[in-house]
Amino acid sequence: MDGDIVFLEGRCTAEDAETLLCTLQDHPGSAVDLSGVRRMHMAVVQIVLALAPTLRGVPADPFLARNIFPQIDLL
Amino acid sequence: MDELLEQFLIEGRDLIAQASADLTALARDPADRAALDGLFRAIHTLKGSVALFDMAPAERMLHAAESLLDGVRKGQAAADTALTDALVACIDQTDRWIEEMERTGALGDDAGRDADRVVAGFTGEVAAAATAPLVGPVATPDWTSDLLVRERAAVADVSGPLIAFRYTPDADCFFRGEDPLAVAAGVPDLLALAISPRDGAWPDAATIEPFACFSVVEGLSSAPIDAVRTAFRLVSDQVVLVEVQQLSAAPAAPERVARDVLRVDAARVDALADGLGGLLVAINALAPLAEKAGQVDRTLAAAIRTVQAGIERAATDLHASVDAVRSVPLEPALRRLPRLAREIAADAGKSVSLTIIGEGLEVDRQIADGLFEPLVHLLRNAIDHGIEPPEKRISAGKPPEGSVTLRFARDGDMIVAVLADDGGGIDPDMIRAKAAARGLMTADAADALDDGAALRLIFLPGFSTAETVTELSGRGVGMDAVRMAVERMRGTIAIDSRPGEGTQFHLRFPASALTTRLLVVEAGGDRYGVALDQVVETVRVDAGALLPIGGGTACVLRGRTVPVLSLAALLGRTERETAPAKLLVTRASGEAVALRVDGFAERIDMLVRPPVGMLAAVPGVGGSALMGDGAVLLVLDLPGLVA
Repeated sequence: MDGDIVFLEGRCTAEDAETLLCTLQDHPGSAVDLSGVRRMHMAVVQIVLALAPTLRGVPADPFLARNIFPQIDLL
Repeated sequence: MDELLEQFLIEGRDLIAQASADLTALARDPADRAALDGLFRAIHTLKGSVALFDMAPAERMLHAAESLLDGVRKGQAAADTALTDALVACIDQTDRWIEEMERTGALGDDAGRDADRVVAGFTGEVAAAATAPLVGPVATPDWTSDLLVRERAAVADVSGPLIAFRYTPDADCFFRGEDPLAVAAGVPDLLALAISPRDGAWPDAATIEPFACFSVVEGLSSAPIDAVRTAFRLVSDQVVLVEVQQLSAAPAAPERVARDVLRVDAARVDALADGLGGLLVAINALAPLAEKAGQVDRTLAAAIRTVQAGIERAATDLHASVDAVRSVPLEPALRRLPRLAREIAADAGKSVSLTIIGEGLEVDRQIADGLFEPLVHLLRNAIDHGIEPPEKRISAGKPPEGSVTLRFARDGDMIVAVLADDGGGIDPDMIRAKAAARGLMTADAADALDDGAALRLIFLPGFSTAETVTELSGRGVGMDAVRMAVERMRGTIAIDSRPGEGTQFHLRFPASALTTRLLVVEAGGDRYGVALDQVVETVRVDAGALLPIGGGTACVLRGRTVPVLSLAALLGRTERETAPAKLLVTRASGEAVALRVDGFAERIDMLVRPPVGMLAAVPGVGGSALMGDGAVLLVLDLPGLVA
């Protein structure tokens, strides 16, 4: 976490979902930066989709970039 | 009624309408691919729907139609007139069966024969394919079509069958160490993937349970079904696989999918309108309250008026919203008309085309519901008596096929419907002779009428212009029943006809029926409400201008002699003499009639409740309205009262 941006990096596991949820709940309006993400667990993906924070960056994982967060290409 | 059946009746009719529209487009342009695909989809879905009920003949017939259309889509057959005619018969038959299901809950004994007759109409080599046995459950689940529409860009370049999957992971799958996304990532030849909330909407931040899976994963793959199944082998109980055909018309569909439609029980909307009516009435009490407060404290009165204005604004907005909710397009109410027109024409041995224009207009549901019966009767009348037999039309230099046009338009707060035929028209002299023959008036009186007035005689009770009473028009409903049905909706009907050229009926209805603008009048010491749209004008005349004529009274208004009746006397009360005389001019059966009243009071917007109980039996009562002070205002139905 840096300022109002939450950085997700490397492998985001199911355990990270709760941390992310709490962070976003405590800091509503925070953006989430995905550029360092190499794997993302479904549990984390659904938190991001449900809370719909502002997203930044393209995930390093092509599967995520293409199928889950394609809208980032537009930025 | 069984909920499933109820749903079927609504959706079945939607599909019939869709199929009919596509058929019309296809008949115009046999190369219209979108119409062909739409028709195929509608028939395919209909087949899936009828399979839920004891409607085997319908399923058989629709299956044959579907196979026939499949042949056309593959270029094995042409969408020629013979084919579209056969399909019209098929759709009409399905519509009749839906009606039968609604009436009796089952198909009649003739259903098998009817199905055979329709299927026999499917000629040519494709008919052979049509009789091939039915294969498997064919109804495609909704989610696949949504998926195809949503992901159309991703699949646009792919030909051949696709596998659609819907993976609904167990809520506690995370505890078992599963990652549904990793599983989905293992699907070969993945074209599209979408994650959506399982319950239709994402939970909100406060209630999210981070350890539960609340998502659904859907996707499309171009790999063989077995390869996709293998990818999901560990979670096979949570996955549904469906092989889908791409529909070439898919890009045209999104607007239909995107539009969120909520089907609400009409009674609930009525309850909402009723409640709003009560609110409007309650607001009416605020003005007198402010008045009263003003006598004690002017600042308080001003404050109350400010609050009143705020509440009124909010209520007006709400009123508009409820009006909009109650508004429905005319189109569903008119869906059965084209089929009925074909049936009536076939029975009468005539060929008639019905064109409906402006059916997209939105009107109050009450109006949409009430319009059907009178329109059917007018349509029957036009086809039975208006349109001439083909040989007679040819000798008159007209095309053998008669044409009936039903056109809707909006005119301010009113909806105008015009039903026009290009038939033989009505001869006013014949009407005069008939009216005299039936004892409705003397021959002299009939001769004295101008042509327009003579034509309006057909709206009198006991009048029928039928030369022979046919099965269809001889059902004991004359044009007077049509007029009454129209007036019940606070509408008016007028006729215009030219011998040899055709007849036009002009109907006018209020587009919104929630509240009625009322004029309060005083008569015989009491107050009554009168719908403003029944009032042509209000005038004050010198008592000397009222002339005794025969047994009654009349006066000259704008150069015309108008009969004057006493409202108090009509209501069985004693009239008070006022000078000058106050007259309220209304129209009954197209003729102006003046009613003498004691006085005119305010104009108000009220929710008029239809008469119930004993009131319903009293002619001339249009209903009642609850005033702000709790008093009940009797609302008069002037045409009924004067008739």
